[in-house]
Amino acid sequence: MKREPGMAYDTKVLNKVFAVISVCFLLVVIWMVFDDYIRPWKAVQIKALDIEKQKIQEKIKEIDGSIDGEKLKELKAKIAEAEKGVEAQQEKVEKINDAISEIQRKIYVQNMVNGVNGSQAAAFQFQYEHALMQNHPEEAKKLKVTFDDYKKKEMAGKDNLKGLQAEETKVQNELKAILADKTAAEKELKNLVGDKERMLTAMSMTEKNPIWAMRNAPFIDYLDPTIKIRQYVVANATNDFYFQQVPKIDRCTTCHVFIDKPGYEDQANPYKTHPKVATLAVGVSSAHPVKDFGCTSCHGGVGDRVNDFNSPAHIPQNAEQMKEWKEKYHWHEPHKVPQPMIPLQHVEGMCMKCHTQQERIPMADKLNNGRKLVEQYGCYACHKIEGWQHMKKPGPSLQKIDGKVSKEFIKNWIWSPKTFNPKSKMPSYFNQENNSTPEFKAKNMAEVNAMAEYIYRTSRGYKPFQRYTGGNVSKGKELIETIGCVGCHMVEGIDDKWNAVGERKGTYLTGVGSKVDPDWLVSWLKKPSHYQEDTVMPSFRLTDTEANDIAAYLLNLKNKQFADLRFPEINKKLRDEILVQDYFSAFETVKVAQAKLEKMTDDQRTMELGKRSISKYGCYSCHNINGFEGDLPQIGPELTKEGSKPVEQFGFGQQKQVPHTRQGWLTQHLKTPRIWDVGVPKPFKDLNKMPNFYLNDQEIEAMVGVLLGQVSDKIPLAGQKRLSAGEKQYYDGMKVANQYNCYGCHNIDGVGGSLSTAFEDPNYGPPFLTKEGFRVQTDWLYDFLQNVHPIRSYVKVRMPTFNFKHDELNKLVTGFQGGSNQNTFEAPVKVEWEPGEREAAKRIWDELACTTCHTGGFNSDEPQAPNLHFAKKRLRTEWMEAWIANPQSFLPYTSMPAFWDDGSGNLIPAVDGVLDNDPKRQIRAVRKLVQEFGYETSPKPFTKNE
Amino acid sequence: MIKEAINYLSSPLYSFTAFIVLFVVALKRIDIVGTKKFGLGLLIVTLAVFGWMVADPVFFSVISLPDNIPIIILNGLVFWSTWYALYKGHQNDLRIERGEGPIEGTPENREKVWAWPNLVYTELFCGILCTIFLIVWAIFFKAPLEEPANPTWAPNPAKAPWYFLGLQEMLVYFDPWMAGVVLPGLILVGLIAIPFIDVNPKGNGYYTFKERKFAISGFLFGWLALWIFLIQVGTFLRGPNWTFYGPFEYWDAHKVVAENNINLSEIMWIKLFNVGLPKNIFVREIFGLLATFGYMFGLLPLIYKKWGKNYLPRMGAIRYYIMVFLVLGMMSLPIKMYLRWFFNLKYVLAMPEFELNL
Repeated sequence: MKREPGMAYDTKVLNKVFAVISVCFLLVVIWMVFDDYIRPWKAVQIKALDIEKQKIQEKIKEIDGSIDGEKLKELKAKIAEAEKGVEAQQEKVEKINDAISEIQRKIYVQNMVNGVNGSQAAAFQFQYEHALMQNHPEEAKKLKVTFDDYKKKEMAGKDNLKGLQAEETKVQNELKAILADKTAAEKELKNLVGDKERMLTAMSMTEKNPIWAMRNAPFIDYLDPTIKIRQYVVANATNDFYFQQVPKIDRCTTCHVFIDKPGYEDQANPYKTHPKVATLAVGVSSAHPVKDFGCTSCHGGVGDRVNDFNSPAHIPQNAEQMKEWKEKYHWHEPHKVPQPMIPLQHVEGMCMKCHTQQERIPMADKLNNGRKLVEQYGCYACHKIEGWQHMKKPGPSLQKIDGKVSKEFIKNWIWSPKTFNPKSKMPSYFNQENNSTPEFKAKNMAEVNAMAEYIYRTSRGYKPFQRYTGGNVSKGKELIETIGCVGCHMVEGIDDKWNAVGERKGTYLTGVGSKVDPDWLVSWLKKPSHYQEDTVMPSFRLTDTEANDIAAYLLNLKNKQFADLRFPEINKKLRDEILVQDYFSAFETVKVAQAKLEKMTDDQRTMELGKRSISKYGCYSCHNINGFEGDLPQIGPELTKEGSKPVEQFGFGQQKQVPHTRQGWLTQHLKTPRIWDVGVPKPFKDLNKMPNFYLNDQEIEAMVGVLLGQVSDKIPLAGQKRLSAGEKQYYDGMKVANQYNCYGCHNIDGVGGSLSTAFEDPNYGPPFLTKEGFRVQTDWLYDFLQNVHPIRSYVKVRMPTFNFKHDELNKLVTGFQGGSNQNTFEAPVKVEWEPGEREAAKRIWDELACTTCHTGGFNSDEPQAPNLHFAKKRLRTEWMEAWIANPQSFLPYTSMPAFWDDGSGNLIPAVDGVLDNDPKRQIRAVRKLVQEFGYETSPKPFTKNE
Repeated sequence: MIKEAINYLSSPLYSFTAFIVLFVVALKRIDIVGTKKFGLGLLIVTLAVFGWMVADPVFFSVISLPDNIPIIILNGLVFWSTWYALYKGHQNDLRIERGEGPIEGTPENREKVWAWPNLVYTELFCGILCTIFLIVWAIFFKAPLEEPANPTWAPNPAKAPWYFLGLQEMLVYFDPWMAGVVLPGLILVGLIAIPFIDVNPKGNGYYTFKERKFAISGFLFGWLALWIFLIQVGTFLRGPNWTFYGPFEYWDAHKVVAENNINLSEIMWIKLFNVGLPKNIFVREIFGLLATFGYMFGLLPLIYKKWGKNYLPRMGAIRYYIMVFLVLGMMSLPIKMYLRWFFNLKYVLAMPEFELNL
């Protein structure tokens, strides 16, 4: 190749190279722009247009189907005819139109002139006042003249304008009169096909025409795109940018386009409507509109990231969905996201982050169930959870245990509670994954021996006040099924229907005959607080016969296999070894510890190990035990912020198969709490002590939801559920209701009521307590809860007498009151009749035959409704009227007829020709009548031997 | 089995030692290294081994982190340019031996050409090609941006940018003040000083190895062993908690390594003399002081005897002593590394009272 002097390369070749790489450069730049332009969410929105179009077409079809073709034709003909009529007066119409435009021109001009005059007048007014203030009277005088002139012109102009406007109206009316027929027909047509036209307009918005393409073209799509990121900036919740709380930005609707639009329920995600759009969330009129709460406030995840499916940290519900997502979206675990999306089955847990003061949250059934389980199993007893500190210890007191069960029983029971009672809430500490080696088992047995010894020997002794004299087993069974035991207990051998109630506030009653002292049982049934002062077990005011019958049934339940178990005697060598190695030598040398042991008697050593072991396993967290009074440390780690604990801080041990997520760890932990120790060499004293509750999968799922909701997110005040004074009273009261498991029998404002649902006719079960504070008088309720007396004598299930503390009683009563925003004190009822009202009331009373059901005090028929003589002291006046007007709006199941309701919430007179047929007056008259014959006192409470 | 062996052998002690041995052997046997055959063979072997290693999922997950891709590129480039320079140098050395003079000195290679368009134009090409490369890279590997930094939840491992990982690796062996300030300062000053210290006119304008053996070996040692190698360790072999992990070892954040390091003063007073530490810090640190001063000054006569006789007259006293100081500073790093590996030595001189830890 020939080269020019001073040249290393041939310039022509260089030029060619330059040309090639320049073109490459251009192509790469175009590629870059397109790579930036093409986003997954755009495809989603484009497909959404098709779906929307299809939906609109379906709707149009539906509308087309509903339009009456005949009527349409008729209307069109009518319009044509009217048009003909107008045409006949064409000349006149034109003339009027001319007149109108001339007047409108004049109005326009007048408006302009008025504007000029008005502003000039205002300006001169200022100058005039200014001159006065500056002490220039001469100038002021001159200015006043100009101001007056303009003001006069302005006023005249305004006057003229009014005249012109009146003239216009007049002429317009003339025109209207001519066009009247046509306008009316057109309006009718519009009523008929207006919906369709609106739909057509909406459909035109979904067209992908050239204008649409231009608006969304690369480079110019910054101007006014239709395909764009859609976001909500939510002030009620924040994103935590460490040191800075920033209003939450949720862009989820960029892909979940129809989430707030009802009608897309049948679509697949992301095009689906939110399943609770109208009630719970997203919808404008729902409890949590998307514009105020966003999406990630409840669902978690990173709401501002829309790069692709993975970026917002979507989390699948289960392995199946994970597999599906991996195939469809190349799903992978989110990287370094502190709060990924909460799997759907746990999402209700997130309610807790704002609703901190409520124990039961409406619409959150799963969460409520989870919280109930956490309460029942007593997680809060060993683990501190903010907001649960008021709860009572979940287990029974052991302070007088020697009066109830034998020492042998205690040992076998602690060793394996499930052997005796498979449904027991007492968890298993022993024979678990991490302590089943022969060495550990032997040591555990020494501990169990010592603990039983300690508990039994420190017990204060208990003398039953009643003797078991034998009873009728089948009568006992019937009583258990009917009086309401099943509101808290499941019982072996009773009808499945009653065990299906499933309430487990109390223990599952099985093998009682192999467990307790018969005299103790009778005494306990008669008066539970005699044995344990703070028990939540109420008295059912049983007669001696009844108590003996129930006891007979329960004592008949035996677990012979368990009763025959004999627990090995304490291994003294191991006992001493544990004492020295695990306890005494903690801060001393082994030699000193050994010396300390030598000084103790055999008995002292056993008691010492017993006490130490009770501390070690935290028995005192759930049970009252003598020697463990006062404020003792909670043995488990705090769970208040469990849902925000970084995944790295969970110890997964050797368990590779457990998903490395919060829910993965928590689920496994509730299933097999000791599994983390497997494969980890640990000395005896350092073994994980979390006991095994043998929970089933549903229980675990619900409880994991509760734990995941225990997050540390900072919620702005505006976003938190802040209770009003009344609500605060209500929820405080409901905490008491929950402690005593009122929810087990009663449905209170839509929550709970397991027992009442077991009755085919709820009228014969525990009544629903809907707006109870509105229904009953405060004084009556306060009195009733202390002196329970029958209201519905035809109902077999009994309202028990609880041993409420004064403070609890007050909270409960004011709670109901606050929940209905009622006053504490009310004026005594005083009936004052209007002329003729009383007679009318009597007539209504007779015609409606109230005494057919409310027989009490009127005839001796079997009553089917409460005795109305007690209504005066019990019920509130406003409630009575509201109730009579529409009983079903309070209690859908009630058999009380709605005499004054037409079936759709409108009042109609129940009896014709009375009180001017005014339903309100009729209702008032009946209410007055009931109050008039009401007794001044409530019925006598049950006494011991009733 | 092989992987486990590699995991074991890639611990810093073995891999660093092996690297230095290979380095020395390579420079000794430049007659083999500096041939095309060797270069090609090395390339094939390297690619084969690398291909086999990439097939391991753990190794792949580490090298495919977007942050680590530049290091892979860096490795290729460093390999290539080092070998190419040695090859060229060796070829010239052979020519010089034969009395032909370096290839760059032949008449056709001495011809001068215009900067425009020969240089400027081609530079523009390179600029465009680099931009294309960067754009395509950016399209395929998105910037690894993460959540806003959370001071209470630092990433583990927390790594410096890849080009600083050598410095971060030095932190394992030195006090932050040394590893973060003094040594990097020395590196900068040393690099700036090279043109002023190096007065050897040979090798100007042409590749050679034999004529600049000390300069090339010294630089390559600092560059390859103390900088590039440490970056490799910091990138691929340091996992959570800056603990060492073999290339095929899973980065288990719970890995526990027993490392109890002690100071020279503790070794001497407590282990050797079996007495407590003296109260006076200068007495306490007397051995550290002696060792430090001995290293910096006591070695001077020895060095003079071995090499200085040649260099001192040629360079002049100031250049000579600055160079010796810089070389000693550089060598302090591998020395400290070996002391750590063999004796669990924390600091030679530990005077936290003055914030002086060496």
